[in-house]
Amino acid sequence: MMQIPSLKYKTKKQPIAELKDASVYRIPLQSYRSTLQPLVKIGDQILQYQVLAEDVEHQFAAKIHSPVSGKVIAIDEHYISLENDFQQQKITTKIIESQQLDLERFVQVLKDFGIAGIGGAEFPTNIKYKVKESNVKSLLINGIECEPYLTSDYAVMRHETEKLLKTIAVLNQIFQPEEIVIGIEKQHKELKKHFEKSFKNHPNLAVRIHLLPNEYPQGGELQFIKSVTHKEIPKGSIPANFGYLVSNVGTILAIYEALFNGIPTTERVITISGNAVNTIGNYRVKIGTPIRHILKELNIDAEGVDIVLGGPMMGKEVVDLDSPIKKGSGGLLLFKKQQKSIENCIECGYCVDVCPQHLMPMQFVKGHQEDQNLLSQFNLDHCIECGACEYICPSNLPLMQSIVLGKVELQKMMYAK
Amino acid sequence: MQNKRFSPFVSSKNSIGKVMLDVIIALLPLCAFAFYTYRIWFLIVLGSALGGAILTEILFSGILLKKWRGILDGSAIITVLLLVFTISPLTPWYVAAFGGSCAVLFGKILWGGVGKNKFNPALVGREFMTVFFPLVMSSGDIWSTKRIRYVYEVEWFDFIPNAHWAEFLNELFFVPTGALGEYSAVFLLLGGIYLIFRRRISWHIPAFLLVSFLSFLWIFEDQNLNYSLGGILLGGIFMATDMPSSPSSPTGKSYYGLMIGLVAGLCIQFGAGFEYMSYSILILNGFSTKINQVFMPRTWGTKTDWPKKIEEVFLLTLSVLTVTFAVLSLHYYGYIPYLIYIYIIYIIFKFNFSFSKKLHQPI
Repeated sequence: MMQIPSLKYKTKKQPIAELKDASVYRIPLQSYRSTLQPLVKIGDQILQYQVLAEDVEHQFAAKIHSPVSGKVIAIDEHYISLENDFQQQKITTKIIESQQLDLERFVQVLKDFGIAGIGGAEFPTNIKYKVKESNVKSLLINGIECEPYLTSDYAVMRHETEKLLKTIAVLNQIFQPEEIVIGIEKQHKELKKHFEKSFKNHPNLAVRIHLLPNEYPQGGELQFIKSVTHKEIPKGSIPANFGYLVSNVGTILAIYEALFNGIPTTERVITISGNAVNTIGNYRVKIGTPIRHILKELNIDAEGVDIVLGGPMMGKEVVDLDSPIKKGSGGLLLFKKQQKSIENCIECGYCVDVCPQHLMPMQFVKGHQEDQNLLSQFNLDHCIECGACEYICPSNLPLMQSIVLGKVELQKMMYAK
Repeated sequence: MQNKRFSPFVSSKNSIGKVMLDVIIALLPLCAFAFYTYRIWFLIVLGSALGGAILTEILFSGILLKKWRGILDGSAIITVLLLVFTISPLTPWYVAAFGGSCAVLFGKILWGGVGKNKFNPALVGREFMTVFFPLVMSSGDIWSTKRIRYVYEVEWFDFIPNAHWAEFLNELFFVPTGALGEYSAVFLLLGGIYLIFRRRISWHIPAFLLVSFLSFLWIFEDQNLNYSLGGILLGGIFMATDMPSSPSSPTGKSYYGLMIGLVAGLCIQFGAGFEYMSYSILILNGFSTKINQVFMPRTWGTKTDWPKKIEEVFLLTLSVLTVTFAVLSLHYYGYIPYLIYIYIIYIIFKFNFSFSKKLHQPI
């Protein structure tokens, strides 16, 4: 792991601001590793919070709901486009009696309300929480937002503290974990006092605040679990099988909305920042809001800059300004374009030093380029794509490109066998 | 269409130039000592080696391969400095120029450019000098430098009442014998500490190298063993840590340092003369790729297969020792030149049929 200038001071002090609704929303159909099937047709009138699409076949991606009421105007393979009628006609939902929730009903709620990992991967939370009640050792709340610039989780912890604790109390009642831990980065240690003040309202709740070093990628699920519990879990396993329930603070907030307000995941907090923009801050944004709308509302000129959805380390480049905010998008960042010239690898080994999975990333460039056997020999499938190797590389090697494309090659080789 | 951009969208301010600059900074005090002791003689050797290297870079990297950008990355300067630090101030200018030129050409360019070399370029250059100018390089005369010395000893610590201690400290800071880079043990160490502090080298290689070499000397207590502390420090801190030719993982580096110390000890014990440091580092350079495989770090969440690992390490050590004794035999019978001839043929062949096609690839 390594230190990266966090640059969070830019937006840390900002409250969570609201953004005016857009007239058109584009609801993303791709989530986790699945594509959702639309449950509506073009021309349908829809209500706010109505289910729009579901992974009928595999149930391996969270459902998605309408953030507004209006009309379906287009459906293609990636998006359902909605026209907002600004009437906010809501679908009626039953109030959930959180006091009497058992595990089975709780998991059903998570599924019905489209709760997914807000930290980035959008892993369906109902699958993550499917455990035997008695087996939960630790409930770990991940407040480590190790990506530079992003402060959306910080804003949630700072301004929605009470909602988080109420939800944690429900989780505590359902799972009866041996311990509850909230992980926070040392750079945000003022949050510890802030949380401890709120603990007074929940005398029956024993929560420990765990301060962790400002290192990247401390917030990666596997790294977070190890830092708190000293248990090293291999990539690809479900932490619940080891007795750990891990959720991002944003996900906890989404669960709160579902349990206490009957609202499915239709909005989230994002950070708008970067070195090419002045109007920065934390905003509550509806899922499906086109990036173009956000830029327009905030008077941001995106001409000639790189736009990134997510964090600067693991985010995706925005090519189409009409593409929307997704459940896993923690930020919208704008960077000045920079030219990087690729030099020869000098085998300095910096990438080996920083790799949180203890891999030798430079071998993947070689592997992708000429010898595919190196990809499996050096365990490419264990890579979590955190980007630390490429960040530190003095030669600007295309490490992430080799890793992403190399994984596709690995898959092909697996099928070939 | 524009290529898809991949994350990350921020990067550290590291660059090859900065890495090279740090190494040059660490080497500068040693230059100062060499100049302090031999003045014009040092400048002649350094100047001609540098001239040879830069001419070769311009001719081959620039004019023939059209890769102008790499010429000024500083790697040639480091190669030349390290080469010059291993030879005598009395080395004739044309031999030094030949060495600088061969170091760059056969040590770096023919491998495909900076970073792709499997052997330390400076030591490759040094071996070429020894093989092609045997009379000059192995004559005892070249090391009798007393007559051209400007400084014989320093009296910096004579203010200390204890004469024994004063002398010890004086010699730790300055001894004017041996090759051009070996005069100040203290500044060799300081250079190393600077590089470790700047993360340009890791402590593993020099530390394990020194430990194993010194334990070797201690176990085979032999008064006749001829070695120089400066030479070991120069080799361990600056030569063995050359990034492309050394392994990348911490355990790999530790093993590599350990083995260089051992092989260097064996080389001294079995009569490799002045060449013990070059031989030991070059031999282990050759095993660097294999060491990377055997000493791959333990992947997160996986378990080490210890029986398999131990077997691999055992076999690896066996092959290192086999090669060491093979080289020592060749040395004993005077066949090392043939090894260099084979190397020349090999590298030209490889360049022609493989490396030249990958010049644009970064790795």
